[in-house]
Amino acid sequence: MIYTPRERVLTAMNLQKPDRVPLMCQFSIGSMMQQLKPSPAEFWYDGRVFAEGLAELCSRFNFDGILVSLHGHSPCWRESVTEIRDLEEGRQEVFFKERTELHSWSDLPMVYQLEKSINKDIAEIDIENDIPSVIDYIPVSAGLYFKIDLQHKFDIFPLLTEMTNGKYSIHGEITSPFDYLLDMLGYEQGLISLIMEPERCKAILAKFAAGIGDLAEEMCNCDIDAIKISSPFAGMGFISPEHYAEFVLPYEKAIISRIRAKGKHVYIHTCGHIDDRLELMRDSGASGLECLDPPPVGNVDLKNAFDRVGKSMFIKGNIDSVYSLLYADDEKAESDVLDIIETGRRGDGFILSTACSIAPMVSGKRILMLSELVNRSGLYQP
Amino acid sequence: MEEFTDKISLSVQKGKVDINSPYPPDMKGQPGADELTRAALDEGVSANEILNSALIPAMAIVGGLFREKKLFVPQVLMSARAMSRAMVHLKPYFTSGEIRERGVFVVGTVAGDLHDIGKNLASMMIEGSGWRVVDLGVDVKSEKFIEAAREYPGCIIGMSALLTTTMESMEKAVREMKGLMPDQKVIVGGAPLNAEFAQRIGADLYAQTPQSAVSFLNSLS
Repeated sequence: MIYTPRERVLTAMNLQKPDRVPLMCQFSIGSMMQQLKPSPAEFWYDGRVFAEGLAELCSRFNFDGILVSLHGHSPCWRESVTEIRDLEEGRQEVFFKERTELHSWSDLPMVYQLEKSINKDIAEIDIENDIPSVIDYIPVSAGLYFKIDLQHKFDIFPLLTEMTNGKYSIHGEITSPFDYLLDMLGYEQGLISLIMEPERCKAILAKFAAGIGDLAEEMCNCDIDAIKISSPFAGMGFISPEHYAEFVLPYEKAIISRIRAKGKHVYIHTCGHIDDRLELMRDSGASGLECLDPPPVGNVDLKNAFDRVGKSMFIKGNIDSVYSLLYADDEKAESDVLDIIETGRRGDGFILSTACSIAPMVSGKRILMLSELVNRSGLYQP
Repeated sequence: MEEFTDKISLSVQKGKVDINSPYPPDMKGQPGADELTRAALDEGVSANEILNSALIPAMAIVGGLFREKKLFVPQVLMSARAMSRAMVHLKPYFTSGEIRERGVFVVGTVAGDLHDIGKNLASMMIEGSGWRVVDLGVDVKSEKFIEAAREYPGCIIGMSALLTTTMESMEKAVREMKGLMPDQKVIVGGAPLNAEFAQRIGADLYAQTPQSAVSFLNSLS
């Protein structure tokens, strides 16, 4: 039986084996632009341009699914722009009243605020008023936010379904309450507050979790198969397993149970070293785990991860985008990916992907290699 | 004397900043690095002794525990804060020359990356081991690193990157620096890096932990 790409991903997420290992990598914004060479500002702000790019790349590289990393694009985004200045090819400066942004093909936009904002002290935060009940922004990276247009929160999903005729498995993405907390306080204050002001942190996390849960629940009404919860700072590189259990798990768990109640899959993504908390991540109730960076970026052994959590979670990973796809020679790149396919296909639910997103300078040839390898070596016995 | 330095060392290891700090709970109400350092100086313990017998060894222990994943960033930040508080009392001795600075360490997060936590953590520990730290901030372009290297002859440059996507700008910065100033020592650090990458881009050291940067720097001074 030949599966459609969407069926392939869904089957793996249901901990079953389709015709072959599904392939679905998440692109960094830089890698998408390196492949597509669009106007970088339009690619960031225009929902249609972004959706067309996602659909084109999925088709070009024979992926089985699309992760929608940004949602809530405003159709009126140009109204707040005072000027877009073209610099050299692939670089644009976008001027707003209060900030300037540098958009380029190399990676995420850089934001230069005219007035530098200072993170509030945790003691000064008015939980009722300072933390939004309705989540209207995505904390993308340090100092970089994607504003969610509340009138157009999920426009991109039907647009993508229409563009792809429902062929692919489409996944939404939300950000963990823990990330919102660190973003609001600043990483340093945020991390110190876990030990100095634990109860206040929990109150902030609970408010964020309620708002993010609402957002996720509403996203589930779209024609999507899963939601990814991104939690990049919840690994061993930052916090202990005890802090994970105290400040990450309960709040993600609350969101996960709401998504699961809507009949959608949900998977969690934490970068770097997470080997010591795989069971805690499983206890979140999520249907899958993404990333599982191998050494040196992380410390997860894929086989060991399957043995420990693979009976109750699908695993999506774990190709090292930098050391296997970007820097390795052809022989090593191929051998690394084949090892992962071989290990992954023995598990119950496996989706081949890069651990973290595809690095910007990974060549198209290398990305295409993934589908060639998965078609050659990722077939399941009928 | 030893009693003072032991107590200061313990307060730094445990992240006890001052008497009012509720952390760690088992030292509540006890004096922290702030009061103990002041008291030690008042009792005639030399600034050098405090630095070399209390602060530097304490941060080495913290760095070791961090490397072994027995301590995590929040606890290390508290230790660094405790050390910084002690350093406030030692600053005048650096200025007067009673404590000799080991050298100048210029640090920044590479272009395209706005994350500063790793850089700050390393800076605090390096400062605590007697180096003067010049912090260039985040999103630092290659030219700025080169400019700083020229402004502080003999300095060591530290570059940090948290994102896999900004490793490429680190490579560019190191190559440009080494192209113009081949003898300039450059240390690189950050979660996605490894020694092989550091070697490949021409850096002199991959600092897996802040403590490995401290050890390398101290071996040069």
